[in-house]
Amino acid sequence: MQSIVAKDLTKQFGDFTAVNHINFSVEKGEIFGFLGANGAGKTTAIKMMSGLLLPTSGDAIVGGYSIRTDSKQIKRHIGYMSQRFSLYNDLTIFENMQLFGTVYGIPAKELKDRIHQSLSKLKMDDQANSLVASIPLGWKQKLAFATAILHRPEIVFLDEPTSGVDPIVRREFWKLIYQAAASGITIFVTTHYMDEAEYCHRISIMAEGSLKLIGTPSELKQQMGVDTIDDVFVKFVKR
Amino acid sequence: MKELRMILHKEMIHIMRDKITLFLVLAIPIMLVLLFGFTISTEIRNAKIAIFDQAKDSQSQTLIDKISSSGYFQVVAYPETESEIDQDFKDLDIKLAIIIPPNFEGSLENEKMATLQIIDDVSDLNVASILNNYILAICHDFINEYNGQGLEDGSIDIVTNMLYNPEANSVYMFVPGIITLIMIIVTALMSSITLAREKETGTMRMLLITPVKKVYVIVGKVIPYMGLSLISTIMIIVISVFVFKMPINGSIALLLLLCIIFMFTAASFGMMISAISKTQIDAMMVTMMGLFLPTVLLSGFLFPLDNMPMIFQILADIFPAKWFIIAIKDVMIKGSGFFDIWKYLGILILMAIVLIALSLGNVDKRK
Repeated sequence: MQSIVAKDLTKQFGDFTAVNHINFSVEKGEIFGFLGANGAGKTTAIKMMSGLLLPTSGDAIVGGYSIRTDSKQIKRHIGYMSQRFSLYNDLTIFENMQLFGTVYGIPAKELKDRIHQSLSKLKMDDQANSLVASIPLGWKQKLAFATAILHRPEIVFLDEPTSGVDPIVRREFWKLIYQAAASGITIFVTTHYMDEAEYCHRISIMAEGSLKLIGTPSELKQQMGVDTIDDVFVKFVKR
Repeated sequence: MKELRMILHKEMIHIMRDKITLFLVLAIPIMLVLLFGFTISTEIRNAKIAIFDQAKDSQSQTLIDKISSSGYFQVVAYPETESEIDQDFKDLDIKLAIIIPPNFEGSLENEKMATLQIIDDVSDLNVASILNNYILAICHDFINEYNGQGLEDGSIDIVTNMLYNPEANSVYMFVPGIITLIMIIVTALMSSITLAREKETGTMRMLLITPVKKVYVIVGKVIPYMGLSLISTIMIIVISVFVFKMPINGSIALLLLLCIIFMFTAASFGMMISAISKTQIDAMMVTMMGLFLPTVLLSGFLFPLDNMPMIFQILADIFPAKWFIIAIKDVMIKGSGFFDIWKYLGILILMAIVLIALSLGNVDKRK
């Protein structure tokens, strides 16, 4: 089953084409890496797929719904976490999770249980009532991820989720991603860390609005005749 | 509805945890009204003065009686030379000295004029100019009576009637103005700034990606600040009534209704600004330039509108503050009823509807 199917997805801002006829599909439970230099059009593509932007032409089916006509349904079935840490600093951990859980329509009692479950999974149960401002960045990122999947979305979009986080927390973070994928959540992740790209089931590389390469990490390395994804990326960008 | 309640709950937490802002929002209106009330009510009573009466005739005595019985002055010395006046300024701390020329009565009678010399202590310019105005008013009164009828002993009424009352006037003027400014600052500025802050920190994106309607996010942002501004308004009115004796001649219910309607108008400006501004600086600049300045300058609160060029008078009509200030003065001072001010209420409601429609039209569209 496919979670995301993009068909000639295009977005123009005036004369500038930010995303140019991209086509790809992502399987359910897959970890799909979305790479590209800054300004390659990744964020615009994610905004379209999460229902924030309307495509100029083309379409994408996300969780079975068209982004052109069913953006409301899509919003119910996706989760999102951004590079900029984006929980409320002046709310406690519990209050943040309660806020986002409630706007997704999780019933109050059920929500409370889920919050405690996911906090104990993060070994943060005792901090439920601390202000988010008081915890370290790496923890915040893990917390933001837990919040983004609290409503059990089919797909979660992670926009550079680990930027600015130390290697140990990054590894822990990827453990969480694997757990989520194993439970059937499709992960759509952008990153600038090429070692993280290796963790993905499949990756794609965008440049100047177009999708240039797509495949498993080993396929791409073979195709370009190099040993690491880092080399794939550098070779590709130089080309 | 549950979503809206959740957003409201979150906003309340934001407000309650930001103690400094909360304190400022509640304290500034009180400070403003006390400050305006006490500083502008520059009525001075029993200012110490000295009079150097060189004439010592009946007219000069009449003038002195008038001055000393006015209640504004207390004659503490009658110097006999100019150097004594200097001494009195230093020793007795007099604020003002009057020198009545020799042959005061004679020159009034023959030349129909006399020159009074007034020496002010201008180390406090404001006090000096206020005292000067009092003297001028008393002299004016004196001359009127002199021209009016004969000057026989005892026929001069020395009850001075000051035609202006700076204290009362200033409070009447400033209270509606302060309410207007507070409503705009709290409801429009605070809500649009905090919304723009969410856009800057990225939490707005998080909210927009959820199924919650953007309208709820904005409305949920504005409502708590509407509540705060209403609390401030009530505090201002209470202070102005109990501390500055401002009357409420109309009905209190109508006054509240008027304030609530204006609060909605200000809130709709807040929504409009929230919808168009991307950063806190944007929100601040748009509110300051587009709303705050026109309110201060074009509402008739500081500068009378009647003397402004036509273009500014037309501009003033577009902003809600002018209508609110007219209506609130009518209710509080003139005691106007609903049917006297319904036109203004209508204008304020219409403005709110147009602005809300405009901002909602912008809000939930994907581009």
